[in-house]
Amino acid sequence: MSKEKKDKKGFSRRKFLVRGAVGIGVVLGTGYLTRSIWRRGIAGMINTAESPYMGDTKTPPLWFEVTAENQIILHSPKVEMGQGAFTGLAQIAADELEVDVDRIKVVHAATSTGNIDGFGTGGSTSISSLWMPMRELAATMREMLKNEAAKALNTSPASLQLNNGVITGGGKAITYGEVVAGVQEWEIPKTPPLKDLKDYKFVGQPVARVDLADKVFGAPIFGMDATMPDMLYGAVVRSSLIGAKYKGADTSKAEGMPGVVKIVKEADFVGVVATSRMAAENAKKAISVDWEVDRNWESEDIEAMIQVGQGDPVEIQKKGDAKGLLEAEEGLITAEYKSPIGAHAQLEPNGAVAYVEANKATVMISTQVVEITRSEVADRLGFSKDQVNIVPTFLGGGFGRRLHTPNAIQAAVLSKAVGKPVKCFLNRKEEFQNDTFRPPTHHVLKARLSEDGLIETIEHNVSSGDVMFGSALTPGFLDPIVGADIGAWRGGMIQYGAIPNFRAVSWRVKLPFSTSWWRSLGLLANTFAIESFMDELAIKAGKDPVQFRLDQIQDDKAGQRLKAVIKAAAEKAAWKDEVVDGRAMGFAASTDANTPCAHVVEVSIEEGEIKVHKVTCAMDPGIAVNPDQVRAQCEGSIIMGMSAAMYEQMKVKKGALTPTIYGPYQMALMRNAPKEIDVVLLQNDDKPGAVGEPPMGPIGAAVANAVFRLTGQRLREMPLQLV
Amino acid sequence: MKKTLLPILSIMLLIGSVSIGFGYSEKEGEELSRSSVNELPQQEQNESLAAFNTMMKVLTHKRCVNCHPAGDRPHQGEDSHVHNFGVRRGPDNHGVAALRCETCHQEENNEFSGVPGAPEWSLAPLSMAWEGLNRIEIAKSIMNPAINGGRSLEETVKHLTEHELVLWAWEPGVDADGTPREKPPVPKEKYIAAVKKWAETGAHIPTE
Amino acid sequence: MDISFQINGTLRSVDVDENTPLLWVVRDVIGLKGTKFGCGKAACGACTLHVDGEAVRSCSYAVKYAEGKNITTIEGLGDADNPHPVQQAWMEEVVPQCGYCQPGFMMATAAMLDKTPNPTDEDIDANIVNVCRCATYYRMRKAIHRAAELHTANAQNS
Repeated sequence: MSKEKKDKKGFSRRKFLVRGAVGIGVVLGTGYLTRSIWRRGIAGMINTAESPYMGDTKTPPLWFEVTAENQIILHSPKVEMGQGAFTGLAQIAADELEVDVDRIKVVHAATSTGNIDGFGTGGSTSISSLWMPMRELAATMREMLKNEAAKALNTSPASLQLNNGVITGGGKAITYGEVVAGVQEWEIPKTPPLKDLKDYKFVGQPVARVDLADKVFGAPIFGMDATMPDMLYGAVVRSSLIGAKYKGADTSKAEGMPGVVKIVKEADFVGVVATSRMAAENAKKAISVDWEVDRNWESEDIEAMIQVGQGDPVEIQKKGDAKGLLEAEEGLITAEYKSPIGAHAQLEPNGAVAYVEANKATVMISTQVVEITRSEVADRLGFSKDQVNIVPTFLGGGFGRRLHTPNAIQAAVLSKAVGKPVKCFLNRKEEFQNDTFRPPTHHVLKARLSEDGLIETIEHNVSSGDVMFGSALTPGFLDPIVGADIGAWRGGMIQYGAIPNFRAVSWRVKLPFSTSWWRSLGLLANTFAIESFMDELAIKAGKDPVQFRLDQIQDDKAGQRLKAVIKAAAEKAAWKDEVVDGRAMGFAASTDANTPCAHVVEVSIEEGEIKVHKVTCAMDPGIAVNPDQVRAQCEGSIIMGMSAAMYEQMKVKKGALTPTIYGPYQMALMRNAPKEIDVVLLQNDDKPGAVGEPPMGPIGAAVANAVFRLTGQRLREMPLQLV
Repeated sequence: MKKTLLPILSIMLLIGSVSIGFGYSEKEGEELSRSSVNELPQQEQNESLAAFNTMMKVLTHKRCVNCHPAGDRPHQGEDSHVHNFGVRRGPDNHGVAALRCETCHQEENNEFSGVPGAPEWSLAPLSMAWEGLNRIEIAKSIMNPAINGGRSLEETVKHLTEHELVLWAWEPGVDADGTPREKPPVPKEKYIAAVKKWAETGAHIPTE
Repeated sequence: MDISFQINGTLRSVDVDENTPLLWVVRDVIGLKGTKFGCGKAACGACTLHVDGEAVRSCSYAVKYAEGKNITTIEGLGDADNPHPVQQAWMEEVVPQCGYCQPGFMMATAAMLDKTPNPTDEDIDANIVNVCRCATYYRMRKAIHRAAELHTANAQNS
């Protein structure tokens, strides 16, 4: 943060505004979309829809700046949370701007100057949604530079040569920086034709991450590293208990404590501002809060709620007469699966640095929802949105945890109370107990095989806590239209389109604690259930599980892409449906947001524990803008997915979510990670697709399927534990 | 900043030579008991046994046994689970190269983190593994200089009653969640008196 | 209370409560933000730095123990012009994703390599138990082996 400020002093820059030619959000009618057929239609549409860029299209927000030193600063509307968005965007811009990647510095767009994506950053859309806008913006800017350079060099734009920020023509040369310095009024031309993919130098190449050095040498780039002059430290008291309502507090003991500047009592919370973090934390402990709690919840209560058959069912997928055909008992194959409550457990806690002045507010924060955070802070302070500037920082992990960051409000309220900047962060226990958890799920699968050993009918019922419903991202009026929670059923549809009869039903349960977006949403649990069941059916049918799947995939484009990744994974892993030297393979596949992915895992049992030695992953995300970072996302997604499927679970005891610390909240560590991960990238689409979440889908089922081959134990519950 | 292996090796050699120097046999170890209990008056016999019982309530408690594991892994917590994160004993009972006991545990409990601490925080050597032993077996191991670090009875009493790491059991602090750790079932002063009484009355170990 | 120590080669004296965790002194008093807060419970390893060459989780280390000691943080391990072998390897393998936990991993790895210059996979598993939620473990393992090569080569050249 301080580094950026220093840079700004040194540079003399001109704002370089380029109008964005961007996509438009889908507009849904609200009048008559209540019947199930409509809901299924919407479900199908959402399942395959590309998420467009949903930023400002009316005014010319700041996309690029060119410094006198001829560096191009790209203001990214997407935040960088590890997914590599900054690098991919720099590659795309560099190619159309005819500069090397290292001439581009990517920064987070602040709401006061830059463009804001109302959707936020998530859903594996950073690159896919900006693929066309960024190319068009950069190409437009290139033409603008050429036009102005032609005037300066007294020649025609067509005669100019561009080489890494230098324009030559008519025997003379001028840098982009020099061009920009000489222009007062820019003419924005029509969007020029884009370059052919084969002419790109950087797109498609494994360019090193643009944030690599900052992250290796410890630069202060994260929200928790943010500082402001004269900054104080805040802390807010939170209850450990589910559903606790704040009724008031006795702050007398905290008031005189060393370092305490002010105790701040609001209608909905109590906080403290102090001269250091430890002073604030110590004072917080001395505050006695009166909490109203209706009920002391236990894990058993939650499990009893998450049951297929309870709550509101919505049919999200239907073909043929699955319901009718599954009524008869004979030949019916059924199995039930479960997944637990999952925590985000991202390493950087949530918090913000806020400075509220008389008529403006500045908030530095790592958030996935810049626009929503601005609105929330403005509402609380009684400001207009224009009076609030959200300055996004790098995120110390996102994973969906920062798709709602109301902690910005608390920092702002504390700052307003003392008239100084305040830094206020959660501690780890609060982070675990106030998470927006991955909801627990219960799945019932039913099927009947035909005489030729294929699936005649299959049905997936999933009961889940909310993901989308009730989240900050989606307005409540959408709930009855969409009917079922699109986050909860993500990955819950049957992807084997050649099966004659299938059906998927989503059951909604509202839990007493917050559940929401967790990397890949319902995909991990839904795929665990469906792809484990597919394995059970293949075994019942006496078929090879890979061939069993291939035989039941429809022959359209999506089907062909899915078949291709299944074949590629099986071939690269030298798939064998047998135990060799104490190791067995397991297979599973899924399609998420149009990106098909298949895993083959190699597993043994060591000292009574499941050990994953190798994962072969084949994925088709379409164009891989940066194949190395696509691989990195696969590797991370696979191990994080293993962690969730094999080790992690939150429990509810005496009204509180537990555990509250790493370790007891068991996660995959170095020793649990496979030593070999082999990623095969197919690119059977003409645009970049989702990358960060799809590889998480098949991992749980692939491991469980391998364990069955090895031990005969069919593990139908996450976390996978041998009996 | 850089440390060579040499000092570590020489320390290990030193420890090795010490234990070789005190290489008593088990029989000799038992001879540390000054007299046979049968020679004592009945009342004193009863007192000795009571003292032993009191002492062993402490020594069999998880605050002690968690760091006297039979294997390579320390235990922790009220349920004596294997230490989180796969923490290992290491060659000197202080952990491995970049995961020393001292990486997390300092000379005092840390009230902010809930990480317990005391001087010389480490595992008891494998020879002093108590995990899985009954109280008779634990008592025998304490009295056996071949495995107890060559301690005489006097030194053993001193260790049991004065060593800060042992006495930490009565100031175990709070865990990561802020919950106080369970203390041994006997107050510290009563335990110390019992150890001394037991030693004075012959340090007899009952047969069952 | 005044407490003095060397940090990244510079003598510093700080006037703070002696039980303040070293992490907060390093981050908020001295202003070096590379050492991260992850849990405050010595569980995740994000706050790992070196005290007299030993890996220490600074969130659980009262600053009073630092008196007279020699502290190294990620900022002092190396820089872009002169990267530590671990940092060099981390860049070659493009390890970081979100990057938040990485300084702790690099500091733990550097401490390990000083004592175990050629770690086996088992050594790595036993020594490096920090938490990375992006789960970059696969590349970290490769980077640790690469760092060992660079470290050994550096030692032979110097």
